[in-house]
Amino acid sequence: MKSFVCIKYVPDTSEAEVKVNPDGKTVDDSRFSYDINDADNYAVEESVLIKEDKGGEVDVLSIGPKQSEVMIRMALAKGCDRATRIEDERIAGHDPLIIARVLAGALKDQEFDLVFTGCMAADDGHMSTGVALAEELGVNHASMVKEVEVLDGKVKAHRELEGGLMEVVELELPAVLTIQTGINEPRYAPIRGIRQAQKKELNVKSLDDLGLDPAEVSFDASGIILENLYIPEVESAAEFIEGEPDEKAEKLASILVKGGLV
Amino acid sequence: MSIENQTFTEKHDLLGCIQCGRCTGGCPVTVRAGLNVRQFVNNAYDEEKLDELARLTEIWDCTACHTCAVRCPKGLKPLEVLIGLRAMIVESGKVEPTVRDALQSVLLEGNPWEKPRAARTDWMEGLDVKVAEEGQEVDNLFFVCCTIAYDPRVQVMAKNMVKLLNKTGIDYAFLPEDESCCGSEVFTIGEEGLFEMLVEDNTEFLNQFNAGRIVALSPHCYTTYNTYFPDLKSPVIHYTQLLDELVEEEKLTWDKELPKKIVYHDPCYLGKQSGIYDEPRRLLKSIPGVELLEFERCRERSLCCEGGGGKMWIESQSTAERLAETRIKDAKELGAEIVAAACPFCILTLEDAMKSLGYEEEMRVAEITELLGELADS
Repeated sequence: MKSFVCIKYVPDTSEAEVKVNPDGKTVDDSRFSYDINDADNYAVEESVLIKEDKGGEVDVLSIGPKQSEVMIRMALAKGCDRATRIEDERIAGHDPLIIARVLAGALKDQEFDLVFTGCMAADDGHMSTGVALAEELGVNHASMVKEVEVLDGKVKAHRELEGGLMEVVELELPAVLTIQTGINEPRYAPIRGIRQAQKKELNVKSLDDLGLDPAEVSFDASGIILENLYIPEVESAAEFIEGEPDEKAEKLASILVKGGLV
Repeated sequence: MSIENQTFTEKHDLLGCIQCGRCTGGCPVTVRAGLNVRQFVNNAYDEEKLDELARLTEIWDCTACHTCAVRCPKGLKPLEVLIGLRAMIVESGKVEPTVRDALQSVLLEGNPWEKPRAARTDWMEGLDVKVAEEGQEVDNLFFVCCTIAYDPRVQVMAKNMVKLLNKTGIDYAFLPEDESCCGSEVFTIGEEGLFEMLVEDNTEFLNQFNAGRIVALSPHCYTTYNTYFPDLKSPVIHYTQLLDELVEEEKLTWDKELPKKIVYHDPCYLGKQSGIYDEPRRLLKSIPGVELLEFERCRERSLCCEGGGGKMWIESQSTAERLAETRIKDAKELGAEIVAAACPFCILTLEDAMKSLGYEEEMRVAEITELLGELADS
């Protein structure tokens, strides 16, 4: 079983206040702490669990700055075998379709059975990269995966849908799986393991190294134009409807009718 | 016997144990969670049992209070056998998620609370505080501690310390936001590699400052620096030692009274582990109006609050009464109006216990710096 796991280095915005820079297009990240994207952490664990069960190898793939290597080393310490970090300022990083194109470019000459990604990035929340990657690679995919069973030449993926419904799908390999949080319990990467992982291969590549045409993944090539970032205004228009159930229903219906919603 | 087991046996001097049972007899957690440290020391001789022992959940019940080490007639540290077993689990990576996140946060952000490093000195906002610069001479260099830096309940310790220091006019400075975790809890959780890294990095970092002495606000940092950092250039003292000195020299005096019955809770890391019993008591007695009470279990017999040993990140499976609740009940029985302690962990656990017992109206849990800071308010 040969797998790739794609991971992203993201800011933890739960503790720090998010402020938009005066340019209106970037966020002040001076007070953020960075770590592996939460869902990607589960993807790493799943890829390692499958390797431990079925044998094979796991390669880490990431687009990010030098500082993200601590995250990559942690994944290697947990059991991944080697890693490639892509860094090139020409990549339109705000566009998940472009990211998918770059990742697919890195995978194009590789043989693989499974590619794991997180189902969503904690910073931009697009939930698109993994699915777009499958499209770029021309392979099957299942998103929001909560359980994986590797079969002979196939994989059974349990997808978590809205309302907690589980859909079970069977895919021919190779395939891309976007992993939902909670599928497993990611392990800790002890420091000694991280130090030992220094011996594992970590290649840094640019678009040129990957043989990708910068024009195809640049800001000009992106269909997404970032116009403006702003913090949504907090509005507090909430009305509590009191009374007996009949009265409440009547009041609610009247509000909806007046508002032109029904 | 394999070399590996010899290492574990030798490292913890297991053959030195005479199985007298004083460790388990004195262990406060034995009563609450059934932890039997003597049994672990006995069974750890057998190399084949180590993996099995490491998987027992009781190893995470130890609060590293050191009662077993204090009582051991052979001078052993039975608790470190449990820490050694924890280390085996940590190396496998299969720790509780809360422990995993705390350790990872120490590596990435220099604190176990998953807070950004950039926010470490936010508590200083609005205060007239001196921040240390590399190479500059300073008599008293303050090491704040992660919990005090980030936890809004105990940030008051650092803030009040600034207030008190500014009153005395002594030469001091606080470390900038590059200050990192001392590793006290990392050590007791058993992350040996991370702890070694912290010893190396913190020694290098602290030695950059030309400090007459380093003053630790938390007993955990104080004891850890004094026990495991042999290459620090500056001596490390606890803040109660400094304030006691300043009161003695009459550089700190109190204009107000505090007519309250106060019972002092000896933190394990300050008392049992470092022998500082009198300075906190003298400080409290220096306050006009204070009537200082004593717990029946005080000084080296003090009952652990269960805040150490990594217990902030791992819950005991026992549902028996928390030791902090026992402590608060004892304080109430004594008629104490204030339970004072000189440790951020003790304050957090004792206050939780006080609230869960519903004693908020009649009792208060306060850090010594809180009480002194209130007296210093004009």
